[in-house]
Amino acid sequence: MRINESMTMYEKLNILTDAAKYDVACTSSGTSRSNDGTGMGNCQQSGICHSFSADGRCISLLKILFTNECIYDCKYCVNRRSNDVARASFTPDEICTLTMEFYRRNYIEGLFLSSGILKSPDYTMELIYAALYKLRRECGFQGYIHVKAIPGANCELVRQVGFLADRMSVNLELPTAESLKLLAPNKTRKNILTPMRLVQNRMEENKQELMVYRNAPRFVPAGQSTQMIIGATPETDYQIMQVTESLYQKFELKRVFFSAFVHVNEDAMLPARTDEGPPLLREHRLYQADWLLRYYHFRADELLSEKEPNFNVLFDPKCNWALKHLEHFPVEINRADYKTLLRVPGIGYKSAARIVKARRLGTLDFPDIKKMGVVLKRALYFITCQGKMMYPVRIEEDYITRNLLSSGEKLPKEVVNMGYQQLSLFDVTMGQKRWNAVSDGA
Amino acid sequence: MKTVYVCSDTVTGIFSGIYDAWKAQKGEEECTIAFRGMIEAELFCDYVEVEETQHKAQAVETLIQRHLGKQAYWDIYHAVLADDLKKGEAVLGTMLAAKAIPDSKKIMDHLSCPKVGKVFELSRKVGGEAHLFKGFVRFRELTNDVLYAEIEPRSQVLTCIAPHFANRLPLENWMIYDKSHHMFVVHEAGKRWVLVSDEYADISGKLEVTEKEKEYERLWRGFVKSISIESRENPRCQRSHLPLQYRPNMTEFILDD
Repeated sequence: MRINESMTMYEKLNILTDAAKYDVACTSSGTSRSNDGTGMGNCQQSGICHSFSADGRCISLLKILFTNECIYDCKYCVNRRSNDVARASFTPDEICTLTMEFYRRNYIEGLFLSSGILKSPDYTMELIYAALYKLRRECGFQGYIHVKAIPGANCELVRQVGFLADRMSVNLELPTAESLKLLAPNKTRKNILTPMRLVQNRMEENKQELMVYRNAPRFVPAGQSTQMIIGATPETDYQIMQVTESLYQKFELKRVFFSAFVHVNEDAMLPARTDEGPPLLREHRLYQADWLLRYYHFRADELLSEKEPNFNVLFDPKCNWALKHLEHFPVEINRADYKTLLRVPGIGYKSAARIVKARRLGTLDFPDIKKMGVVLKRALYFITCQGKMMYPVRIEEDYITRNLLSSGEKLPKEVVNMGYQQLSLFDVTMGQKRWNAVSDGA
Repeated sequence: MKTVYVCSDTVTGIFSGIYDAWKAQKGEEECTIAFRGMIEAELFCDYVEVEETQHKAQAVETLIQRHLGKQAYWDIYHAVLADDLKKGEAVLGTMLAAKAIPDSKKIMDHLSCPKVGKVFELSRKVGGEAHLFKGFVRFRELTNDVLYAEIEPRSQVLTCIAPHFANRLPLENWMIYDKSHHMFVVHEAGKRWVLVSDEYADISGKLEVTEKEKEYERLWRGFVKSISIESRENPRCQRSHLPLQYRPNMTEFILDD
C-alpha cells in the first residue's frame, strides 16, 4: 500500500474520484428545499444534471470517497485491501471547501460521500459525520447530500448522519446472500439489511414528527436507495427483479440501481474476462423493467417467469410483455382507462396522462396523440382511435414482431455486433461458462 | 383584409401586439403578429406598427391570468420566450380559442386545437432548455468578487433561470450574460435580480478571473475526466444528453490554458 503524505489536492481528488466512480447513483432528486437566505444552496424536486462524463452518465453530485484505504477484501472492488493502488484520504475541511467552491460555480448539485472502511465501520462513520456536520452547520450548505451508511456501524451514528443528509443508501452489493458470501467475505446480508431497516423505521417516525411539528428536523427527506452488481454472479434477471420488487415493497426504497460488472480485478471467484466489456444491455433492460415496476404498475412475475428467466435482447420488457399478451389488445384510445393505456408499448406515463385529460374535451385521432408524445411506430399495432386502427394490421405475434424489427428502429449495439453468431446458442454457452467459473471457485 | 401587427421580439412587444389585436376584436383569420425585421411581406395585408408599452403588456398579463389561470399563463409566458416566428400568432389563437369554450381555464387541456398545441409545444421546448441551463451554467470568479457566466441559448431563458439562481446563491454577487439575445441578469448579494440589456452595460475589460478560479477549474476538469469509466465510454450517449452546442461555454470542455 502506497500512502503519500504530501499529495496535492489535484492528485487526491483524482484518486478518490477514480475510486468512487463505480458507484452508480448520481441522482439529486426527491426533495425540494428553498434557501432560507443565510447560506448557499437549495434542492429541486426533479434533480439537476450538471454535466455528462465521457461514458454518458450524468454528473450531478461531487462523487468522492472519503478514503480508499479499506480493511475489507471484496473481490469485485478496486479498493480491496489486497490491491496495490495509490491510497489517499480527505480531511473533513478539504471536503467542505471542495463542495462549497464547486457548488458556487454551479458545477455540482451537491455531495455524494462514500468511503472505504478505515480502521472500523464506526470510525469511518464518525469521520463522515464530522464532514457533513461541518458542511451543514459551519459552511451553511443547503444543497443536496447523498451519503452511504456503512454496514456494521453503530445505529446511533447512522441516525445522526441521517439528519444531515438528504438521501442515504446502503449497497446491497450482490442480489443474493450466497453471492455476497462468495465475493464479499467481510460483509453479511444481515449487516447490510440492518441499517436499511433502521433508516426505513426512522423515516416512518419522522413522518409522524413532521405532522405534529412542521419544523421538526427532517430525516433523510429524499429517501433511501441501494445498488447491486449485475453479471458478476449467476443470478437470472427474474431473481434480480424479484429482489428489486421486494426491496421496494418491504423496505420502501426510492430507487434500486444496477451496476454492470466491470472487470477491475483478477480473481478465481469472478467470471472469466472476455472482450465484450460490461453487460450494458442487460443493465439497460433491468432499468427499463425497474421503471415498469415503479411507474407502470407491473409486477416482476408478469414480466418474467421461472421458464423465461431472462429479458429479451431485442425488445424492451414492456413490448415483450405486450407481444406475449395480445389478448389485451387493441385498446381504444378514447375509452381505455389510465392503467390500460400505460401498458401499451409506445405510450409513456406522461403521454397517457395527457391523453386522459385531452379526450375529455373531444375525441382523439392518431395525429393528435402523436403530438402528445406517443411513439406511433410502436403503438400502432396495439391501439385503435374511434374503433379504427391506423393501418390494417393483424394482431399476431409473428406479424407484429417482424414489423417492429423491420420498422427501422435502432437495435441495441450488442445485438448488431453479434453478426453471424446464433443468438440463442451463443447466450446459453456463455451463461454456462460463467456458472462453471463461479461454482468451480467455490 | 388581414391585419399584421408588427412588434419587437420581446415579452412586452408581443403582449402589446396582442393587446392591440384583442382591442380591435379581430377574429383568428383576420389578424396575425409578426416581428420587426423578420417579416415576409404578403399581398392584401395591412401592416400596423405596434406602440409597445408596459401598460399594455401588464393588461394582457392580467387578462390571461384572470381568465385562463396561472398554469396557462405559465405555458404562454414560456411560449413567448421561444425562438419561433409564429409564437405570437399561436398565443393569440389560444386566447381566442379559450373564449370559445365553456371553461376557459381548461384551455391547455385542449391539445387537439392546433394553436393550443403549438403553445404547448413551445412551452415544453423553452421549459426544457431552461431546465438544462440550470445545470449547464458555469460561473467564473472575477477579481472584483463577482461570479460571471456566459450562455448562448436558443430561447430567451434568462428570466426562467434567474429566480432559481437567486434562491440558490442569495449571498453572492453574480451575473449571467445571454450572448444570443444580448441581455444580462444581474444579482447583487442580498438583493433581487434585475434584467439589463447590454446596451446599458459595457463589461469588456472587466473580466479578469482570480488565481483561485484557475485552480478550481483545473480540479473540476480532472474530476470530470476521472469520474468516467473507461470500459463504458460512449460519446454518442454523452452527445445526446449534452449536445455540442452547449459545450463552448462549459468549463470542463474548454481546454486548459
